[in-house]
Amino acid sequence: MAPPPVVTGLSPIEGPPGTRITIRGENFGDKPSDLIGLTICGCDCLLSAEWKSPNKIIARSGPGKGKGDVIVTTRLGGVGSCNVSFKGYHETIGPMKESAVWVEEAPLFVWGRHSLSPSSYQQEDPLGLSVEGNDKKFPEDDLLELFPNCSGDITMDNFSACWFLLENHHCTSFNDLQAGLLHLRRKVEGQKEGQLSFLKANVGSVMDQVDTIVALKEKFEKDTAFYGTEPTLKLEKSIKESEREARKLFDDVLARRDRAEKTRNALNVLARFRFLFCLPCVIDRNIKKGDYDIVINDYMRVKNLFNKSEVPVFRTALSEIEKRVVGLQKMLHEKLQKMPITIEEQKRLIRYLINLDAPYEPAWDAIKSHSDYINLRFKQCYEEHKAAEAALAEELNKVKNSHSASKYSKYSPPQDALSTVPENILFIEELCEILSELFPDLWKLGQSYFTGELHVKVEPGRQAGFKHMVLTIIEMFCKTLRSAIIPHTLDKNVDRQLCGAWSLSDIDIIAPWLPACLRYIRATYKILIKLDLPSEALDIIAGLILDLRVYCMSILFKQTTEQVKHLHKQETWKIEFCSTHSGITDLPVKFEQSVQEAIHLIKESVLTNEQREMPLLDNASAQKELDKQVENLLSAFHGVLKNLAFQDDDGDGGEDRSPVVSQLIGTPITSYRTHDATNNIPVWEYRLLTTLSNCQYTNNTVLNHISDSFIKSGYLLSKMPIENVKSKLVTLEKAILDAYLEQKSDPLVGTIEPSMYLGRFDWDTDITPSDIRPYAKECINNLIHVHSEVYSVSPTLVDSVLPQVVQTIAEELYRLMSCVQKFSVPGIQQARADIGALQEIFSGYSTPKAKTFFIEALEIIPPLTKADSTIIEDILKQCRIKMRLQILCLSQHRTNGPVKT
Amino acid sequence: MSKKPATQPALHKVIMVGSGGVGKSALTLQFMYDEFVEDYEPTKADSYRKKILLDGEEVQIDILDTAGQEDYAAIRDNYFRSGEGFLCIFSITEDESFQATQDFREQILRVKNDENIPFLLVGNKCDLEDKRKVSYQEASDRAKQWGVTYVETSAKTREHVDKVNSIVCRWYC
Repeated sequence: MAPPPVVTGLSPIEGPPGTRITIRGENFGDKPSDLIGLTICGCDCLLSAEWKSPNKIIARSGPGKGKGDVIVTTRLGGVGSCNVSFKGYHETIGPMKESAVWVEEAPLFVWGRHSLSPSSYQQEDPLGLSVEGNDKKFPEDDLLELFPNCSGDITMDNFSACWFLLENHHCTSFNDLQAGLLHLRRKVEGQKEGQLSFLKANVGSVMDQVDTIVALKEKFEKDTAFYGTEPTLKLEKSIKESEREARKLFDDVLARRDRAEKTRNALNVLARFRFLFCLPCVIDRNIKKGDYDIVINDYMRVKNLFNKSEVPVFRTALSEIEKRVVGLQKMLHEKLQKMPITIEEQKRLIRYLINLDAPYEPAWDAIKSHSDYINLRFKQCYEEHKAAEAALAEELNKVKNSHSASKYSKYSPPQDALSTVPENILFIEELCEILSELFPDLWKLGQSYFTGELHVKVEPGRQAGFKHMVLTIIEMFCKTLRSAIIPHTLDKNVDRQLCGAWSLSDIDIIAPWLPACLRYIRATYKILIKLDLPSEALDIIAGLILDLRVYCMSILFKQTTEQVKHLHKQETWKIEFCSTHSGITDLPVKFEQSVQEAIHLIKESVLTNEQREMPLLDNASAQKELDKQVENLLSAFHGVLKNLAFQDDDGDGGEDRSPVVSQLIGTPITSYRTHDATNNIPVWEYRLLTTLSNCQYTNNTVLNHISDSFIKSGYLLSKMPIENVKSKLVTLEKAILDAYLEQKSDPLVGTIEPSMYLGRFDWDTDITPSDIRPYAKECINNLIHVHSEVYSVSPTLVDSVLPQVVQTIAEELYRLMSCVQKFSVPGIQQARADIGALQEIFSGYSTPKAKTFFIEALEIIPPLTKADSTIIEDILKQCRIKMRLQILCLSQHRTNGPVKT
Repeated sequence: MSKKPATQPALHKVIMVGSGGVGKSALTLQFMYDEFVEDYEPTKADSYRKKILLDGEEVQIDILDTAGQEDYAAIRDNYFRSGEGFLCIFSITEDESFQATQDFREQILRVKNDENIPFLLVGNKCDLEDKRKVSYQEASDRAKQWGVTYVETSAKTREHVDKVNSIVCRWYC
């Protein structure tokens, strides 16, 4: 790409439009066609541009005014730049100014010497001298005095050169004045010469002009010779004639037009009268058709036309019309107050009535009738549902009476009721519907009334009246709702009578419907919020919603509590082994599930805040209620567990409870089998263990889960309820454990003594022992049995159960030993072997207390000589080999971890 | 495309004065574009700008070519006021033009009110030695009297044009 063009020289640098300018610079392209653009002072001058060389272009300036750049654009170099600027000015051509071109002077000048702008032909400084230093002005008064009747104005007749010089050049030096004179002289000469040179410069156009004038003269002379000296005579004559002809043509038409006009006027009057006299009929017809707009229009028109008329006929017609209109007003007014009606229709009717100058107050009447209608609908709805409820109750009674014998009478109605929606719920739904349907219209109507949209003057006191109306409706709505579901929140004496009580159904029936109720009311509330009601009115509903939410929450919790209370019926006693906590039934899981469900449901329906609602639990009483209900709920499960542990079901517990010694010795497992086969409910010990396990699981896991999910769902639950229940559960755990231990260790320990002295054994024996005695073996076996029983339910329970049992055994042994009167040497050997074996085998489950009991028992037994002790070692050794299996059973634990008590 | 330089170089205004037809425009065009214009066309006021690189410093010289004709004498004052340097041209073939330099000198001094304003007296058309009316001595005496330099040039042959050029440049460096 070539370098961009640069303009570095202009000749000249200023001039009026059309000035021929030589533009010099660089990179103007190599040939004329390279030049593709030229602007001078922003005006495109490419048309006049003439490319001379890469350094030179000649062009004529455009109409641009003021200083501006000269920009050359070439095909290869693009838009160029400019170092010098051109100044365009518009010259005013005066009558004294020479100009080679035609100037349209008519709009510029009004002929006459004095109207000329002096500056157009007067030079500022005729001497061509700089008058810069001439600061001091010569006082004009002095000048007037010096040269009376003279003037310094060069254009005036009484011009005085002295005045002029004194005025403008009184500080100028003589030399300068001489120079000025020279200049002036030259100027005058130049002007003379200038005329000549001007003619020379424009000789072409001057010659043209002369030629044209000569041609014109010749032509004119020829015409004069041909047509005579007055060429326009004939023309004048023809103009006159044509004028006459035109008149002849159009006079007729004009006359006809006048006539037509007159006729039209007459017809108009007739039409007006006809309009008046026909109007009553027309009004009747239009009323029938419902075209009230037309009626109103006609009425206005007729009033405008004839209202001031005194003619009796017209007055009669008018009164006839008035009568019709009054009838129409009445009709419209009645229509306005007839409910139901849409707000648009009402507004239209109000407009009609206003246009008809009705004597009513249509807007306010409409509002009033609206409000009355809402109240009426409330009442109707109430009565309707009340009646339905009564009918239902009667029917139920009938059913009850006919089935009075049936023993489940108490449970049969709910089954019916569950499938059908309770009447008060239906009532609430309908009431909400009525309010959300009708109230917005009332409110909107009221708003447009008060904002003046209805073009009615608002009467004083209406505002308060309307407010009262609105509040009454809202209050009525809330009270009726309260009476239907939460009557306990109503003021007993006043409101219950007012709104009528509902027979309250069971919690079970109403609970599933409560969230729906809440939803209805909330939807209504939302509609009201959208209407931008005053907060006073909204707060009434907000209060209702809050109460309902609290009630709903507590009902849902109560319901869950009821469910939980019935959980014990669902106990299957089937043990589920899960990885984290072994040996539980699905009862705690079910419990957790139902609690979680309740939490979820309540959160969904009650706890979440909707528009313009407070967080429920900010309310102190709601919080208290929540705590109470949660505690109830959790305690209910505690009750369930307790029931399961300690209560007999269907009276078969007694059998289980009686400890049978032989069973313990014999085959203990078989007893379960038989029981399982009969009625699916396991023996009491088993149930105790299971419940104990469940209890622990609930305490350690389920409650934490529940607590977590309470927090996660945003309940601000205090710790109290959960802590309370935990401590209750701990107590229950202990009670169950005690019961179980009592149940187990009592018979176990009780068998030791009889077995020990079985076959009239005496410690003063002289039979050298060869093995530990059967009672010790029995004791071991019994413990293994307990172990297996506990383990089968829950391995974790082994740790809490077995040490207790071992401790009682050790205690019993100690007691027995201390009761022995006399030991023979073999007896001592026997006793030491027995107790040593038990001590060793039970060591895995020995509490420190048990250990001391063992040691004390051994200490009671008299000591032996060393030779006599060897036999004990032998027995123990033999015993370890023989009872390897049993030892393994009880020692297995030691690998698992240390004993805890 | 018109990129402005980051720093605008110094700009100096030089004014060509002298009687009509002495060759101010010819000298200017020769100076600017190395071009000699044969045809005579009276100048009204022309403007040229040239960038000169001197000792690594860029200087812009704005040349205002004025009208020599007396018709335009009245507007001269305005031009002179903005001038920072003056080239006063006369034709060595025309004594009248040489005498006129005196007037120009005085007018400039009056307007600028500065004796030391950069001023150069130029005798043009020195190629027409045979038509010489003003002797070199005469002209250089006047220059000496004014305390300015005198140069004889020929716009046609470009004789000493560059000398004028360098003198002008030296004024501003």
